[in-house]
Amino acid sequence: MTNKETVICRCEDITMREIQETVERFQCSSREVKLRTRAGMGSCGGRTCRGMVDKLVEQLGGPPISNEIALSYRPPVRPVSFGVLGGEEK
Amino acid sequence: MESFDVIVIGAGVIGSSVAYHLVKKGLDVALIEKGGIAAGTSSRCDAVALICDKKPGIDTEIGYASIQLFKQLAQELSVDFEFSSRGSLYVCETERELEIAQGYVADQVRDGYDMRMVDPHELLDIEPYLAPDLAGGIWTEADSSMNPYKLCYAFVEEGKKLGLKVFDYHAVSEIQRDVQGKIERVVTDRGTFKTRKIVNCAGVWSPKIAGMVGIEIPIVPRKGIVLITEKTSKQITRQKVHEFGYMLSKFEDIHFKRNVSELVEKHNVAFTIEPTDAHNFLVGGHRAFKGFDIRSEIDVMQAIAERALRFLPVLRDLNCIRAYAGVRPWVPDHLPIVSEVEEVPGFFIASGHEGDGISMSPITGKMVAQLITGEPTDFNIDKLNFSRYKKSNAV
Repeated sequence: MTNKETVICRCEDITMREIQETVERFQCSSREVKLRTRAGMGSCGGRTCRGMVDKLVEQLGGPPISNEIALSYRPPVRPVSFGVLGGEEK
Repeated sequence: MESFDVIVIGAGVIGSSVAYHLVKKGLDVALIEKGGIAAGTSSRCDAVALICDKKPGIDTEIGYASIQLFKQLAQELSVDFEFSSRGSLYVCETERELEIAQGYVADQVRDGYDMRMVDPHELLDIEPYLAPDLAGGIWTEADSSMNPYKLCYAFVEEGKKLGLKVFDYHAVSEIQRDVQGKIERVVTDRGTFKTRKIVNCAGVWSPKIAGMVGIEIPIVPRKGIVLITEKTSKQITRQKVHEFGYMLSKFEDIHFKRNVSELVEKHNVAFTIEPTDAHNFLVGGHRAFKGFDIRSEIDVMQAIAERALRFLPVLRDLNCIRAYAGVRPWVPDHLPIVSEVEEVPGFFIASGHEGDGISMSPITGKMVAQLITGEPTDFNIDKLNFSRYKKSNAV
């Protein structure tokens, strides 16, 4: 894949270029890429881009030793309204 | 073997700030961290520096000074950590709460802080989406917000410009001392470093580091879960808003009964909400002793949502897109430990800030640098000395 403008995180609109530049500049883990760029922090919770971010960081050489290579999964599985979560609506 | 004037252990917000303030003094400093920068509590927290959640006295004094330092740091550090002085609003649900809040505000005003009571009418002027039946609130001018992990990056990157060496993904396994008991070396899984001074900034993990020099620190992880809303153009709140009952979830000696469900009571949930620069809102708050378990439990998430709806019915149709949890370094007397340890010359502790680590990071970093260079500290911090625990054990 050569097009640097390819959008990797659709929820937060983060391109491959931004991810690549972040890894190159900070030599960081995917978790740090997520915190610095917001890739994976949007409404799908990283479901779409998590694997790609992990893969890109791995290919670009990230940090040499890391116990947090893979991005974590966080609840809820799908967005849920506060009304439903708070027990006001079924 | 590399040698440093000082080795700071832990690259959360406290360690990052301590390291930055030490290199500013011209010292050779290494920052050693078992994971990445801000990998623990400092990226699993909320995003504010407040005085209104502190007890009158030294807690508030130091908190206020820290907010003033943040204003300088926002100019000084080249990484933007999204600092903003928005103020904060406490809301009281009942007349009884309002009464206790009035006493609290009177104490803070007497000490010279800009806090004032707000009536129900003004409450809705400040935050139009609030439930219309609240009793009143407290407005605190000084309270501020920022992005906590960007703050860590900002300290570290500025520190590097001044010569700070960062060893992330280095887990400390041993601290070696000479025959007189003075600090000599720090051993990690990827190399050994020479130093005469260590600052233990490992937060909830600091008892483990202290154990390496035979010291017991009474820090216990206190969990908190936060819910994140989807992005919205609606200005749900303009600043941090939280219920006054938050004080009772934080401090054991503040008692009054809230009109809450069993679920909310059981999980020690007290409503808080904060806007972020990314246009998501962070909704909390929760305090529980669950060891190092940072799973987001569904029943706690439900309790947080239920309590939030009581104060902001507008949240009903907004989505929760994510939840996360972190553990605060809690100490029994709610004051951080900032001192050298008498029994182990060269071993300093800056930990135990519970939920105030972000808030207190600038002033803590500054005062640790003062302690280490032998300068007088900005505040008399006898109350923050580690020896206070030794005394209470002796009784």
